[in-house]
Amino acid sequence: MTDVTIRVNGELRAASVPPETTLLTLLRERFQLTGAKLGCDAGDCGACTVIVDGKPVNACLMLAAQADGRDVLTIEGLATRAALHPLQRAFEEHASLQCGFCGPGVILSAKALLDENPDPTRHEIRDAIAGNLCRCTGYTKMIDAIEHAARELRKTASDRLPVERGGLP
Amino acid sequence: MADETKLAGKQQEIALDAVRRADLEMRLPAVAPAAPYPIEALVPEVRQQTPAVGQRATRPDGRLHGLGQTRYIGDLSFPGMLHARIKRAGVASARIVRIDTRAAEAVPGVMAVLTGREIPVNSFGPSYQDQAVLADGRVFHAGDGVAAVAAVTEQVAAEALELIRVEYEPLPAVFDPLEALREDTPKVHPPNGNVYAQKTIRKGDLKAGFAAADRIFEGRYRTQMVEHVSLEPHAAIAEWDANGRVTIWCTVGRITLARADLSRTLKLPLNRIRMIGTIVGGNFGGKNEITQEPVLALLSKKMGRPVKGVFTRGEEFTATTTRHPIIMDYQTGVTKDGRILARKVRLVLDGGAYCSWSETTLGKAAILASGPYQIENLQVEAYVVYTNKTMTGAMRGFGAPQVCFAYESHMDDIAAALGIDPLEIRLRNAFVEGSASPTGQVLHSVVVKESLLQAAARFGWKETRS
Repeated sequence: MTDVTIRVNGELRAASVPPETTLLTLLRERFQLTGAKLGCDAGDCGACTVIVDGKPVNACLMLAAQADGRDVLTIEGLATRAALHPLQRAFEEHASLQCGFCGPGVILSAKALLDENPDPTRHEIRDAIAGNLCRCTGYTKMIDAIEHAARELRKTASDRLPVERGGLP
Repeated sequence: MADETKLAGKQQEIALDAVRRADLEMRLPAVAPAAPYPIEALVPEVRQQTPAVGQRATRPDGRLHGLGQTRYIGDLSFPGMLHARIKRAGVASARIVRIDTRAAEAVPGVMAVLTGREIPVNSFGPSYQDQAVLADGRVFHAGDGVAAVAAVTEQVAAEALELIRVEYEPLPAVFDPLEALREDTPKVHPPNGNVYAQKTIRKGDLKAGFAAADRIFEGRYRTQMVEHVSLEPHAAIAEWDANGRVTIWCTVGRITLARADLSRTLKLPLNRIRMIGTIVGGNFGGKNEITQEPVLALLSKKMGRPVKGVFTRGEEFTATTTRHPIIMDYQTGVTKDGRILARKVRLVLDGGAYCSWSETTLGKAAILASGPYQIENLQVEAYVVYTNKTMTGAMRGFGAPQVCFAYESHMDDIAAALGIDPLEIRLRNAFVEGSASPTGQVLHSVVVKESLLQAAARFGWKETRS
């Protein structure tokens, strides 16, 4: 068994897991954070995307032990009690998600993009979500939503979420 | 007096507004904003443009999707729940000589093992009950399940699968649908022939039509097998309780049909089966019938604990239905100016190892095979055949996209050979108001020509071709 301690959505969590456990299994089965989905288990579909130390990763390809000591953001950590994240609001308003299975992954890929690049072109947005497959084929509305959220975020750049304030030093 | 009424009304409005705001403040973000909704029922006239068109619409489940709060079956778990996996045959056609599950049963954490022999009625299917829940004695395609394991974790179940020994005696197999049509080809499901459904449509006088034609064109078009690849794999949870009642949480899109199939396979009255259709992470026609549900139910019955099964992506490709590959032969007689006088079509659908929704697909493909064109002399023959491949079933369009590819490609070939503009040849043949379909249905609200002309104008058809 391997001991893993990670900060998930601003909260320190620890678990002892078999060494072959993936970060996705740890999040879903041990921490009950089921927002990240298992789609292909091979790093192709992006449904399991979470943000580790600011970078989007396929949680099905990362071992839980590799995430030890790191800062992980899942879809559950994006909204606050008071408000949806602008991305989530934009995805809702643009009706960007149909079956919704790819949604958490797409939103987190977009979040990682906007954190690095607050004013992306449509091409850059396409690039950022290239690793997230959507079989309902709703990409256009997702790109619209991400563009819209980027504009919103630029307007309120100072209004950071508590999760982000509380990240690891 | 009037002022007082006005004041009271104003006060009431303020009070109401405060209540509304307090309510809004108390809501979690998971509650949708109170969006204005038309209260008066709107009954539009035929073809009247309603305000719904062009309006922004949001989905009622959109917020939960975005928050990651939507609970798909993969996200559900129950106390004491076991995880099931199914061993796949890996061979296309064989007799099962013996299955040895002893080593798998001995793995710590393995709670139950199930084989086809233990299934009360081991057959199901929406048209013909030609599919086994788990193979018993005979394997018809590589994705057939041969045994199932329930264990404390999915990983233990997967390890146990590796220890199940199955001895096969290979049998002849058929992989090509045209070969399957021939009399001398081995039968996939003996003693039945390989053609398991057919449809013929005849209209007018085909011979006379071809005789009157200036030119006759022939073409063969074929499409490939397509998997739905819904992002959420097939998943289900079964719980057989101590009262002898089964509850199934499933992603099946037709739960009443699924319940009938379960009732049949489990030999259990309908009223003892409760199906809970959960939210589905993509169906596209691929989740329209039962797959592993009876297996999970029987494993649950053995252990008295809920059992969950989630297909791997590999199983999605090999063990669930796909879109029919179709071999489409077209023969069309036309006048010099491109009017179609006669058309003969033969469709051969590759049905894979089991019928599934092939009958429905066959019918729709046959009816639509001549396209949206006025053809007075027509013959369509459509066959669906068994092959030792992954079964084909329902997928968006039920055969319509395949024949559309064929008749439109054929149209382009004819247009090119006659030197007619591809748009023009379609306008000369397209359905008009009151045209009859190949099966005699009189069509109304036909705007094929108008749509084509408008589309051509908008994307600059003429300009790009000059």
